[in-house]
Amino acid sequence: MPAFVDRFSEAAKEKVQTVQDYFALAGRAIGFAFARPLYVQDWVQQMDEIGVKSLGIVLLTGFFTGMVLALQSSVQLQAFGISSLVGRLVAGSMIRELGPVLAGLMVAGRVGSGIAAQLGSMRVTEQIDALNTLGTDPIKKLVTPRVLAALVMLPILTIINDFVGIVGGNLIATLLIGIPTGQYWRTVWEQIVSGGFTLRYIPNDFIQGLVKPFVFGGIISISGCYFGLNTTGGTEGVGQATTRTVVLSSILILVVDYFLTQILLSVLAP
Amino acid sequence: MTDDRDKTEIERQRGELRETERRREGRRVTERKGDSVRAAIREELSTETPPTSRRAIQRAEREAETPVIALDHVYLAFASPILEDVSFVARKGETICIVGESGTGKSTTLKLILRLLVPDRGQVNIDGQDITDLTFEEALQVRQRMGMVFQGAALFDSMTVFENVAYPLREHTDLSEDEIEQRVREKLEFVDLEPDKVLEQLPSQLSGGMRKRVGIARGMANNPEIMLYDEPTSGLDPLTTGTITRLIKKLQKELDVTSVVVSHDIRSVFNMASKVAVLHDRRIDFFGTPEEMAGSDDPYIRDFLGGT
Repeated sequence: MPAFVDRFSEAAKEKVQTVQDYFALAGRAIGFAFARPLYVQDWVQQMDEIGVKSLGIVLLTGFFTGMVLALQSSVQLQAFGISSLVGRLVAGSMIRELGPVLAGLMVAGRVGSGIAAQLGSMRVTEQIDALNTLGTDPIKKLVTPRVLAALVMLPILTIINDFVGIVGGNLIATLLIGIPTGQYWRTVWEQIVSGGFTLRYIPNDFIQGLVKPFVFGGIISISGCYFGLNTTGGTEGVGQATTRTVVLSSILILVVDYFLTQILLSVLAP
Repeated sequence: MTDDRDKTEIERQRGELRETERRREGRRVTERKGDSVRAAIREELSTETPPTSRRAIQRAEREAETPVIALDHVYLAFASPILEDVSFVARKGETICIVGESGTGKSTTLKLILRLLVPDRGQVNIDGQDITDLTFEEALQVRQRMGMVFQGAALFDSMTVFENVAYPLREHTDLSEDEIEQRVREKLEFVDLEPDKVLEQLPSQLSGGMRKRVGIARGMANNPEIMLYDEPTSGLDPLTTGTITRLIKKLQKELDVTSVVVSHDIRSVFNMASKVAVLHDRRIDFFGTPEEMAGSDDPYIRDFLGGT
């Protein structure tokens, strides 16, 4: 067999192994959430680290995205004489797409990189080995709290992001386009209703808007932990782990978002 | 002429046979367990061989016990071989020093003992139990009997000195907070640190030597039977090196722990080792007492000792 085929199959094997390790890590991290001892203190600390401390950037990005969305769409909608529907457009885009994706990307940049850098430097300074030596499973102590915190906090951050974005749109709609606040919020509600309901009371838009950040939370935290724990080569390796985490989780967020949307739209048909 | 040579040859062979016979006898004795072994050895020592000192009896007793750590023809490879055919034993209370050039797999050997790594071939025995086939959870159990001091101390930098030393206690014992604090203070005093001064400090606020000592305190917090040190004196000034070496000896003497020390520092090795293992070209080149090492003719060992 030609040498390049061999090399190719070697490389392919390695990639498959990586994917396998990635999912194995995810599985063990989730599994440990139900096994004693539970490091509840670490869970709370990580929720603070991942959730509460990301609030600032999420508020800021959400607010400005909502404003610019209202501004741009008003120009487009004016051409058709329906600029009164700005609220529908802002709400639809924020809740279904921009809220989850933006929150995901911002948290990937802030938290994903932080997780990779922290676990990476713990790896190169032998602190991970020290945990192992002291009889603690590093996955349970370090990975599980981060994954759980991200799974819980990202949907919450997304709700806040959505709300602030719609409020930003409200501001522009009222001040610059001249749509009364009452009418704006009525169109927002119309948009939510138009997506249909599941179990009579739960708007489908909300389900779509919350399933996504839940998945994104998993992607960000597991990528950060995976690259952090597998850091090699000293401080340079920590830098690489950080970069890889942000790149991989950003790409995965955008790609997975597409497929999730496709699935959710067909499952949640109004 | 010929007769004489024949006679000496026969005499030599006879001596050899007697020697093997005695060895076989000795092995048969070691197969028995417990006190009967010691009694048997004492008896043998008093009858077969001329009366020996107490130390020899003690040594013989220890030889008869199952070694605490035994590496048996260990082979390990990642992309290329790291260790080929590494064997040595550490008996209760002994301090084994592993020396060798950088990158010869000394730290890897410690990781094998801790079962952070598993050999591709060969066995790693702790108290006669092969730990290579253990499950992850069983390995955690075995590790609790060991204390490890890392090269850079590897203190958890998000925790204070107190939390670092208390970590193994919180994790594996049911001690109350008061008992934990008392134990932490006791261990810090053992390593010559003033608890009141350092308890609430973060590792980043300590000097290199102090970090090492906190590392030792954390390693011994759980009263382990085995202590492992990875380059405990590297990067330290001669005075601090002396202090750390003294601590390792004190720990061995007062608590009778079995220690494995990976080191570059030949002076401290000669100071504390019961036996020295020289790792060269991925193999154990030499395993014996420091005196035997000093008297060795092996050119590599002579080179290693700096031609002294």
